[in-house]
Amino acid sequence: MSNFEQFHLDFYQSNYTIEDQEEGCNSYGSDKNLCDRRRSQREKQPAGGAFVPPDMVPSSQSYTGQILQPAYSPDTPSQLGYTDGFDEEPPLLEELGINFEHIWQKTLTVLNPTKPADGSIMNETDLTGPMVFCLALGATLLMAGKVHFGYLYGMSAIGCLAMHTLLNLMSTSGVSHGCVASVLGYCLLPMVILSSSAVVFSLQGIPGTVLALFIIGWCSLSASKIFTSALAMEGQQLLIAYPCALLYGLFALLTVF
Amino acid sequence: QMWQVGKRQASRAFSLYANIDILRPYFDVEPVQVRARLLESMIPVKMINFPQKIAGELYGPLMLVFTLVAILLHGMKTSDTIIREGTLMGTAIGTCFGYWLGVSSFMYFLAYLCNAQITMVQMLSLLGYGLFGHCITLLVTYNIHFHSLFYIFWLVVGGLSTLRMVAVLVSRTVGHTQRLILCGTLAALHMLFLLYLHFAYHKVVEGILDTLEGPNMPPFQRVARDIPVVSNAVLNTTAKAIALTL
Repeated sequence: MSNFEQFHLDFYQSNYTIEDQEEGCNSYGSDKNLCDRRRSQREKQPAGGAFVPPDMVPSSQSYTGQILQPAYSPDTPSQLGYTDGFDEEPPLLEELGINFEHIWQKTLTVLNPTKPADGSIMNETDLTGPMVFCLALGATLLMAGKVHFGYLYGMSAIGCLAMHTLLNLMSTSGVSHGCVASVLGYCLLPMVILSSSAVVFSLQGIPGTVLALFIIGWCSLSASKIFTSALAMEGQQLLIAYPCALLYGLFALLTVF
Repeated sequence: QMWQVGKRQASRAFSLYANIDILRPYFDVEPVQVRARLLESMIPVKMINFPQKIAGELYGPLMLVFTLVAILLHGMKTSDTIIREGTLMGTAIGTCFGYWLGVSSFMYFLAYLCNAQITMVQMLSLLGYGLFGHCITLLVTYNIHFHSLFYIFWLVVGGLSTLRMVAVLVSRTVGHTQRLILCGTLAALHMLFLLYLHFAYHKVVEGILDTLEGPNMPPFQRVARDIPVVSNAVLNTTAKAIALTL
């Protein structure tokens, strides 16, 4: 046993893993038998040796093992992936937090404003969908000959700040910036439809105005529906829809003119 | 170092949030209440013997100011107004918020001098709801370009909202001179603002008006036949408006 210890003095790496697994099972308590066995092993080590260093080594190793605890704990397989190599890494999308199923669900909620929304879908703030819709709006505006990316970014940033302030003032529970940005970005999707139709025909006549008003109504209805269901503010949907309508009206002004 | 900076920023943000909480009770409204107050702002009250109740609410006035900004922007865009120094959006927001906050503060100061019983929030609220008439007038007259229609709207709609504000103020002030000062100033500023908004931000294309209206137009309005730049049009039409009213 002491030979084993001396042999492994040079190889700190493997000793780390053994010690860490011990510490791991001590703190998580995963398998009682394993823990007991390893605990008895650990007790044997200080008793067995006339060597002072091996006594010191396990304790220092166990100390440093605790520092390295989160990276090496055996309970989360994805963490082990970092050490195990390329094959066992988690998929890129999962790492980035992009969940296509949720994005699709939220898109469908926006596209159908009459369907009652589920309040819990806005719990995770997902900014990928809104980014995509914003860029799509910019791209369709570009196709119509208007390079207005700066206006888009500025207006969406200021609009998010303003809506965040208003919602915090009007609701009993507050909202975070990310949630507001996420909802407003998702409800920008009908505006993309408006600007893509601006590519085909000019919106400056009566039918264009009617279409723009309809799209503004659609955007603000779905935004207010999601906000009221997420913040439990029933009865105030119209009060939230109106500022959203003003904000989307600005975007429509940008698209039409 | 970075931790300290972060902590300082967080405490600053927290104090800012604490300031926002002061405004929280002014935003606690129901849609029915807002609609009722909007309609009430056009109805002058008859009882000026005891102080009228003013709702100290900021949601309605804020939304009305933003609506006015949107209508101004729409009017500027449809008439292709070019603002040389500054942006369209900045001008519109500056004008509307400047009027709302500036005139409210000025009227509050005058009210303090004339010993009227009104708080700052109530003044903001009163003036804000008075902008409802402006919004309706501008919405209609930016799209339908008849001068006579604008004057009718200016007198009727603007007049109604002014009368309401004046009546509320009169009910809260004692003494004839003070009432006169306060209400005269408010009426003048309110009506002149609507006039200013109509003429300064909407270039009326005189030639098209002429062809549309035909022989019905009174002769002195036919003189401005060329399509002038904005300031020229403003000068012309304002001069004729003054001549007409005189």
